[in-house]
Amino acid sequence: MASLKVYIVRRVLLAIPMIFILLSIVFLIMRVAGDPVSAILGGHAPQEQIEQIKQQLGLNKPIIFQFFGYIGQLLRGNLGRSLIWGQRPVVNEIWDHFPATLELSISAFLISIIIGIFTGTVAATHRNRFLDHTFRLYGIITYGLFIPWIGIMLQLLFGVYLGLLPIGGRIGTLMEPKSITGLYVLDSLLTLNFDSLVSAIKHLILPSVTLGVYLSGIYTRLTRTHLMETLEKDFIKAARARGLSERAVIYKHGLKNAFIPILTMMGLQFALLLVGAVLTEITFSWPGMGTLLFERITYRDFTTVQGIIVFFALIVVTVNLLVDIIYAYIDPRIRY
Amino acid sequence: MVEIKYSPSKFIVSKLKSICPRKGTEYFALIGFIIILSIILMAIFAPFIAPYNPIKKVGGILEEPNGRFILGTDGLGRDIFSRIIFGARTAISVTFLAVIISLSFGVLLGLLSGYIGGKFDSIFSLVMDAIYSFPGLILAIVLSAMLGPGILNTAIAIAVIYTPTYFRMVRGLVLSLKESLFVEAARAIGAKDRTIVFKYIFPNVISSVPIVLSLNAADAVLTLAALSFLGLGLPAPTPDWGFDLKAGHAYLASKIWWPSTFPGLMIVILTLGFSLLGEGINEILTPELRR
Amino acid sequence: MKARRMGIFKVILVILPLVALYLTPATASASKTKPIVLGTTDKITVLDPAKTYDFYTWEVFHNIGEGLLKYKPGTTELMPGIAKSYKVSSDGFEYTFKLREGLKFTDGQPLNAAAVKWSIDRVMRLKLDPSWLVSAFVKRVEVVDNYTVKFVLKKPVSFFPSLVTTTPYIPVSSKSYPADKVAEPTVGHYGPYKIKKWVRDVELVLEANPDYYGPQPKSKLFVVKFYKNAATMRLALETGEIDVAWKSLRPIDIKSLKSKGKQKILEVPGPYIRYIICRCNKPPFDDVRLREAVAAAIDRDRICREAYKGTVKPLYSMVPMGMWSHIDAFKQEYGERNLELAKKLLTEAGYSKENPFEIELWYTPTHYGDLEADVAAIIKESLEETGLIKVTLKSAEWATYAAKYITAGTMPIFLLGWYPDYIDPDDYTTVFLHSKWSPDMGVFYSNPTMDNLLDKARTEIEIKNRTELYKKVQKLMAKEAPVIPLFQGILTAATQPNIEGVILDPVMLLRYYLIYRK
Repeated sequence: MASLKVYIVRRVLLAIPMIFILLSIVFLIMRVAGDPVSAILGGHAPQEQIEQIKQQLGLNKPIIFQFFGYIGQLLRGNLGRSLIWGQRPVVNEIWDHFPATLELSISAFLISIIIGIFTGTVAATHRNRFLDHTFRLYGIITYGLFIPWIGIMLQLLFGVYLGLLPIGGRIGTLMEPKSITGLYVLDSLLTLNFDSLVSAIKHLILPSVTLGVYLSGIYTRLTRTHLMETLEKDFIKAARARGLSERAVIYKHGLKNAFIPILTMMGLQFALLLVGAVLTEITFSWPGMGTLLFERITYRDFTTVQGIIVFFALIVVTVNLLVDIIYAYIDPRIRY
Repeated sequence: MVEIKYSPSKFIVSKLKSICPRKGTEYFALIGFIIILSIILMAIFAPFIAPYNPIKKVGGILEEPNGRFILGTDGLGRDIFSRIIFGARTAISVTFLAVIISLSFGVLLGLLSGYIGGKFDSIFSLVMDAIYSFPGLILAIVLSAMLGPGILNTAIAIAVIYTPTYFRMVRGLVLSLKESLFVEAARAIGAKDRTIVFKYIFPNVISSVPIVLSLNAADAVLTLAALSFLGLGLPAPTPDWGFDLKAGHAYLASKIWWPSTFPGLMIVILTLGFSLLGEGINEILTPELRR
Repeated sequence: MKARRMGIFKVILVILPLVALYLTPATASASKTKPIVLGTTDKITVLDPAKTYDFYTWEVFHNIGEGLLKYKPGTTELMPGIAKSYKVSSDGFEYTFKLREGLKFTDGQPLNAAAVKWSIDRVMRLKLDPSWLVSAFVKRVEVVDNYTVKFVLKKPVSFFPSLVTTTPYIPVSSKSYPADKVAEPTVGHYGPYKIKKWVRDVELVLEANPDYYGPQPKSKLFVVKFYKNAATMRLALETGEIDVAWKSLRPIDIKSLKSKGKQKILEVPGPYIRYIICRCNKPPFDDVRLREAVAAAIDRDRICREAYKGTVKPLYSMVPMGMWSHIDAFKQEYGERNLELAKKLLTEAGYSKENPFEIELWYTPTHYGDLEADVAAIIKESLEETGLIKVTLKSAEWATYAAKYITAGTMPIFLLGWYPDYIDPDDYTTVFLHSKWSPDMGVFYSNPTMDNLLDKARTEIEIKNRTELYKKVQKLMAKEAPVIPLFQGILTAATQPNIEGVILDPVMLLRYYLIYRK
């Protein structure tokens, strides 16, 4: 197992320059293109006040000093303060919004793997037949479904015409459960608050179906490919030879063995999940990181935008790291 | 190390180069090709197809689809059908511009990086990998917010996030070609580096571009639509599907469905066209990978 | 076969209770004292009177706090607030306020003269966005005795009592607010309501303040729900989730709610105005004929009708309709619209069909709501109808627009909007037209006659004389057209039929404590 440890250390070390480079790119874009000070102060600020704020934010130093200052703060876990309004710590802003994104992502992910595995399995077992073609097409079509559009269509149908579901927000008035995890569905279950649970689920349905359907196509393909590969393996032939029913072969042996690679591949689509979540949130005014990012970009709130990007970068790198390590653990051939 | 595959286009290329029946595939490619061709024609001949000026008020406000305005009118009394036709120009031009920019930079840097190797290669690869692993749209949002609206600015914002796709592909190919026999032979007869790169390696690389390009274009259409939807794309009153979808979103609660439904549908159709074509070409060009 | 059945069975076991829950109507909580719920698409930016400079947060402060003076609901008349009375020294330099006795903040601190002085001093010391409303006028604050506080002004200002109603003058407690930095405590205020719970951008729960001197709020509990999207808010109103939909429903939704007739729609002209600014110190708009041509060619009516579906009204002066001294100055000068005059002026200035006047018209796409691009498009078309103007539309995001381009004079002609800081014609004229301040607004207009009129109107106490002066200001403004008014907003609120006490007035700050359910 020593080589696995070495591999893990190597992967962790490789993640550091990745984050560093992402930071520099973002930092450069933000500093070159806008002027945060006037953005904070508004139109008619006297010159001395501008200078004072610049001093305060360290914006009068050369850009390279600013950058290393920022990195230094980051290493201490300090993302700085928002530049606008109450100038709240960016960390607080992020923690206020992250649970919403997490809740949406988790439920969308669940929906997408359920649809994906089901359709993928059907496609793989009907190879080259009508159902196979249908679900392959499904995979291609869902990927092309522009999230805001599909979201708006669902809003029109279920929110406006049928009046069944809310089209925005996370929970009804005065329904917010006591905060334990920040995930409303989980919190209302934990506190046995059923009114909140119902409200939270109702609000969650449309956004997570939108995102879930969008992602499911990719999982259809993954499942189909991996399951087909597995079904050609010898042990499956052996199982068939033993006279097991086709269903048992597929579900008990095929899917079970294809499941881990499928799940790992899904982890690699994580960046796509985040992108989808951002668009879904904005369409459904879901108060998560995407909504926050969009709002703060319009206000040129540099530190918050930077903070959000750093946070996204950390998540992506961590998830990839975890996926790689799990993969390496499962399949020792991967390491070198 | 595990080959990292996040982008669906990348994924499709490397993972699904297989298992599909020839007939179905060619069918997909054909449909995709027809879709794209018709949208391109629509863009070129927009003034002849569109019944009205897309940026002028020509009818009542928010008229339902009817005989005069087959897809209805928008909040300013403009013909939605005409705006969709002209919107094809926006979509096609920004997409192509973005793809061309990312293709040129990606291929060029990939060639250089792969051929020169060493520190130069490591630094470039690291930068490209960093951009590649990051959720593309989020980077594009930040970029285009900073660059401001406009065709070129939007295209640049999109191009930046797709350059690594080409870079990685080309670099990988160059690394394997560098050790191949015919390059060794060229080197042996004293060919210069530049000659080797452009005369021997480049043509080999360029042949595998179309698949990635087509799938990449699908991603670019979606990214453009997303930026426009967020109001970060082109300035008004340019006809733009994403922007019109957003404008139509405002009327949703009043059961006015047509200003959002149709522009969004066009985005989906165009993306679908590129995806179908990409997969199709992939299968046709690499038949040996099919089982 | 067996295995599969089990699987489905398990799935059903999980789904069934969820479906059951979903179908259970959430009526359990409805029987308790039902709060009034108000929806808004605005947000609380920062809960500190020394820092906040937006209308919505000011509205919150007028419900959880109270100034020395306040407006009588439904009017622009002043009435006593936490001060029982005030008097002005004969030279107009000193305002002395007599406070009500025995008031205390929600954190228990006494609200006395020292507390008022501490709060005002804090605003001036922090020097943040709204501080000029104090520091531009007030020299110092003196504590005369425990319940008497004196404001010494830098120079006589006729509208000082209006200024005193603004949020920076609302006292807060020194126990809850730090002296030298911005903070957002949920206690330490004094007003009809106090904050029970605040979840940023989600909801604000207010509860009647038992220590309030005046009548208790009509509804004991009041909830504000923050929406990111107007369509969501409108549906929430229709499903009965909210009782009042406040700023801002979209015009199309107002129209459709009206036609459905299930909710009450309240509308009054608001003090919010929109206008075009010409940069007067540089070509091309240093030529007064070109400004006049634009003023004559604008189709205000079409903007109101098409972009705003009749939810705004054409405006012909910078002083809004409904405010004293308002005259339709631009209408008198140019008529509602005069394309012929515009063509004549443009021809005189040397432009023709072959050589049209080319302008870059700027707007900002999100800050003024999502109809802004439509407004810009209509203006473009109406100017181009002269046949002698060619307009290129340009846009920039608000941060750049406001912070950089306006003061730098980057934009030759651009769209802007104004919410008043205090309710007085001065607030609508001096900043735009006085040579000292007009560069801050990107107007760069300078005319000694205008400066003179404005200065006089500022210090004159007698309202009759002030009215005459502001009429002259408006006439001169229409003639020279450095700014061109477009339209005035209408304040709209939609409520459930059983909701009463929603009083909209030019002050624009809704008083939650007057709202109740029949």
